[in-house]
Amino acid sequence: MSLFESKRRGEMAPASKWLVYTLLFLWTLVVLFPLYWVLITSFKLPGQVGDGPDYLPFIDYRPSLHAWKYIFVDLGSDTFRPYLNSVIIASISTVLAMTVGSMAAYALARLHFRPRLLSIGLFLGAFALVIWLVAQAGVAWPIALSAGIAVFVIAVPVFARVRSPRLGNGDILFWVISQRILPPVVAALPIYIMFQQLGILDTHLAIILTYTTVNMPIVVWLMFDFFVSIPNDIEESAELDGASKLRIFIEMVLPLARPGLIATGLLVLILSWNEYLLALFLSTAKAQTIPLLVAAQNATRGPQWWYMSVLILIMILPVVSLTVLLQRFISKGLLLGAVKG
Amino acid sequence: MNRERLDHWIDHNSGRLFILPAVLLILSFSLFPLIISGWLALSRFKITADGFTLSFIGELNFKKLLTGSQEFHFLGTRAAIDPIGWLLLVLVLGLLAWASWRFVAGERFNLLGLIGRLIAFPLFGALAWNFATTLGESARLGSVSTTLFYVIVGVSIQFVLGTALAFLCAQNIKGRTFFRLVFFIPLMVTPVGIAYTFRMLADMSVGPFSPLWKVLGLGEFSWAADPWTARLVVVLGDSWQWIPFIFIIMLAAFESQSRDELEAAELDGAGPLQIFRDITWPSVAPVAATVVLIRVIEAFKIVDLPNVLTNGGPGIATESLTLHSFIEWRALNLGGSAAVAYSLLFISTIACVSFFQLVVLPMRRARER
Amino acid sequence: MTGRSLIATTLAVGLALAGNATAQEFDGVTVNVMTFTGPQIAEPLQRRGAEFAEATGATINVVTVPFSDLYQKLLTDWISGTNSIDAGVFAPQWMVDYVTPGLLEDLSERVAADEALASDDIAPFFREFSQKFNDKTYMLTVDGDFHMVYYRSDVAEELGLEAPKTWDDYLAFAAAAHGKDLNGDDEADYGSCIAKKRNAQSYWMITSIASAYIQSQGTSQGAFFSTDDMAPLYDNEGFAKALGVYGATGEYAPSDEINLDVGDTRSLFTSGRCALTLDWGDIGTLAIDAENSSVVDKVGAVILPGSARVLDRESGTLVDCDATTCPHAIDGINHAPFAAFGGWSGGVNSKADDKVKDAAYAFFSYVSQPAQSNADVTVGATGFNPYRLSQFESRDAWVEAGMSEAAADNYLGAIQASLNSPNMVLDLRIPQNQRYQQIVLDTAIARFLAGELDIPATMEAINEGWSEVTEELGMDEQLEAYRATIGAE
Repeated sequence: MSLFESKRRGEMAPASKWLVYTLLFLWTLVVLFPLYWVLITSFKLPGQVGDGPDYLPFIDYRPSLHAWKYIFVDLGSDTFRPYLNSVIIASISTVLAMTVGSMAAYALARLHFRPRLLSIGLFLGAFALVIWLVAQAGVAWPIALSAGIAVFVIAVPVFARVRSPRLGNGDILFWVISQRILPPVVAALPIYIMFQQLGILDTHLAIILTYTTVNMPIVVWLMFDFFVSIPNDIEESAELDGASKLRIFIEMVLPLARPGLIATGLLVLILSWNEYLLALFLSTAKAQTIPLLVAAQNATRGPQWWYMSVLILIMILPVVSLTVLLQRFISKGLLLGAVKG
Repeated sequence: MNRERLDHWIDHNSGRLFILPAVLLILSFSLFPLIISGWLALSRFKITADGFTLSFIGELNFKKLLTGSQEFHFLGTRAAIDPIGWLLLVLVLGLLAWASWRFVAGERFNLLGLIGRLIAFPLFGALAWNFATTLGESARLGSVSTTLFYVIVGVSIQFVLGTALAFLCAQNIKGRTFFRLVFFIPLMVTPVGIAYTFRMLADMSVGPFSPLWKVLGLGEFSWAADPWTARLVVVLGDSWQWIPFIFIIMLAAFESQSRDELEAAELDGAGPLQIFRDITWPSVAPVAATVVLIRVIEAFKIVDLPNVLTNGGPGIATESLTLHSFIEWRALNLGGSAAVAYSLLFISTIACVSFFQLVVLPMRRARER
Repeated sequence: MTGRSLIATTLAVGLALAGNATAQEFDGVTVNVMTFTGPQIAEPLQRRGAEFAEATGATINVVTVPFSDLYQKLLTDWISGTNSIDAGVFAPQWMVDYVTPGLLEDLSERVAADEALASDDIAPFFREFSQKFNDKTYMLTVDGDFHMVYYRSDVAEELGLEAPKTWDDYLAFAAAAHGKDLNGDDEADYGSCIAKKRNAQSYWMITSIASAYIQSQGTSQGAFFSTDDMAPLYDNEGFAKALGVYGATGEYAPSDEINLDVGDTRSLFTSGRCALTLDWGDIGTLAIDAENSSVVDKVGAVILPGSARVLDRESGTLVDCDATTCPHAIDGINHAPFAAFGGWSGGVNSKADDKVKDAAYAFFSYVSQPAQSNADVTVGATGFNPYRLSQFESRDAWVEAGMSEAAADNYLGAIQASLNSPNMVLDLRIPQNQRYQQIVLDTAIARFLAGELDIPATMEAINEGWSEVTEELGMDEQLEAYRATIGAE
């Protein structure tokens, strides 16, 4: 039997199978080699790094624990604090983003919103009024905010009878998702000012709120199609039985959507855990996160490769462990997500 | 009694209540910053005895970027267009012309689409022309073109490799779970960490590949000193991190093809190419389009890699728009920084929305047919 | 007495002399100090902070950010009223942007009452320039900064060369040493290693080279702008020559020099791979670190090379040095040592609590006091370079740290020559100087080194960029500030 013919229908020829395995194995090397290099560098002394590449511990060079000791013992609380901050911020912001995003996605999937373009215009007008009051007229922002809300609340019923085109679910969905296009660097300073006025700069709360907002569009995107693909017979019958929408959502829909929730949650967790730019802008001393610590290892003495390697490793570890535990849901969940269109 | 009425009111308005937190968050954190940032882009920051002042200067910051002293930084240094530049320019302009004709002559002609295209197509043409004129030997790319390079070349590489890997993995092989897990790992490393890792790996003298470089005679070559190799290394690092993302999603798409259809087609004696064209591609195309869109949206914002790998060098060769804005920010040139950031927002919004309207939606519609 | 109780006692005595009351006075007070990521500067602050905490009960939190973000982070934190940082250790040249809006605490009275600080021992240059602004003291110096050229004395001997006196000598030295094996590992090494990385700490290097051509009439002539009309001085034959030299050094350098930061070049030099380098005082102390250095006792330091031809400002061309054009010339060569950066100094947030301010001041005073400072400046890893007269006069501490007497004489002599030079160049200290140097100059030089711009285009870019910033911020104000800082009348 030739190598290039399959033995059975539906099976590949042995040659093709070998080819596939080889290519996949090659890519596995590409993925794992950099991480391996990081691992062995974390056990190298500064002199050893400068001398040239050493590939195998114990054979090419004697591994040393000095970098690990420095990070965990010498720096001690200076490592622990950012690590704890990262854990708190990433987990809370993920939970919040999932909550707010799933609720919004569910609403968009099940109900029909038809906001009037005119109302939106009125809202923007009130918004502009508030900003003008604060910036030009020097009014204190709480007063300006109340004035703006009052104007809006009054104006809507007044204009209730004026005809205006309406937007649909698709438009709202698109608007939510398009928030992701906003580069963080555009929003960084205004958010900084906003938090500074509220007095919550350099706190966990500030970064949690920011991450929640930044990641929520992804949740909406991925969960929307997920909810759409779940048939709503069960929900309808439950509603006829008198259950409130909230109860239906929590007790019936969410369990059905668990794979999608876990996959999306994992993705959002990774994004929050690894984020650098906004954390740099919004934190100074107390709310420093781990990516900042990694970036800061580029000192005037040259990049401290060994310390950096340790930090990278302890950053990856929890995420990898979590992924291994939940790996069944990754592909399945994302499959049924927005990508199906 | 009141409790019941409250419950009823909540239930009746549950839809709006469900969506309210999301809308509020977006309004506070996106709309407000958008307006403030826009205003910043039109003003100048100055430190004074009372603190600081922000004085309104109109479009001067933008003028500086487009025609003034920062033009070299933003748009690049122009020179004669070389053959590659001509090729790219002709390609893009041809594509735009074809898309315009299809729209005008097609059945979906409408006002909104016309307005959208009237904004988007000239912008693309201008970006392509800018890229072509700054590509030559004696010319230099600006941060706009560098960002476009990262987006287009980077996402293309990531898509091709990611889909190829997914295709391989979707074959009838063992260990798919293992590969899925391992290939997912790069996504979990923080971009700053990836940047440093790749700097270590790419080091010509003490990196792991240095023996290889020496054998190839490249021992004295520095990738960081040549603009194109520096950009390439940035793209490599970016691809290493994001190929897993495309891989995971495309793998799921390949796996979700209807088995029955596939088997039926094979029984009918259809060749692999035909199967791919008639069954696989229509099912997978919308997914591919969406995943590319997601990647493009994120790619426009690239900053950590060029910042750490080369600090934006050599010269300004690897500076993306976000990095450009960030560097201006460091010296507290708030107006200039906001102007660059707003330009990035403008370009990426039009590009992403266009991609969505012109590529993603048609593919979804085609699948439904 | 054990070492630690000795320190505690010294501290208690020091604090008592400073009139800052006794130990445990700052019990429960937390001071957040921000500086850039170490180990340079940050490590000694952390170490001394722990000692200070033990003696006084205060908690010193050292918060670090990457160097290129330090200016912006500190200023934003203070000017926006957030005030989560109580004190910072940063560049005196940035002082102008912090003092103008009233963000820095005036320390004049405290310094006057502080005997333990030994203010008279601080070299006059640092005391008057780095610590003061408009005659008031706002910062406490903990580190002295001067650019110097370091050379391998063993290589010089072998090749029969002398320490470079002019930049042409420097290039000749580099050319002669380039390609030879300088550290015995059978690999070709480099003639010159200079940190040229963008967005790092490289933008002072070009000024070190250019000043020799541009300033010859003394410090108040200024080396950046004309004192008459704020016209940039980086667009003439003198600067063109300097750019030529700077570019030429790249021929004898590692191929990725354009991506090397000071940390990288220091490693290269101390592992013996470079014959020459241009750097702050750190090399002197790093070289004697027996554990990490391969060039112990093989390093010489020399005042910044000069030039035999200087700029005639009216004609914009180079003219030969003589008694009128170069009144401060040494052996017919004009030297213009550059006090790059000014020396890390500590400043206190004026809006912090009084107790916190007191604690912060006491901490900085402690770090700067001779007992601590004289020990720290001999250790390369601290990043602290000498700035006190006692550190120059006595060789004991240096010899104890591992320098040979000859090396100490050579190293300290070079710094002293720089300090005492009447033609010293002061770093730019006008409002928003970051925009001039970190943005315009750094970018233009990076593009020059990358081959994007030739010499005329580079000069034009700097000239245009600087003039634009001056115009935006107000020419009169900038000119006044410039003249005030260099003492031009």
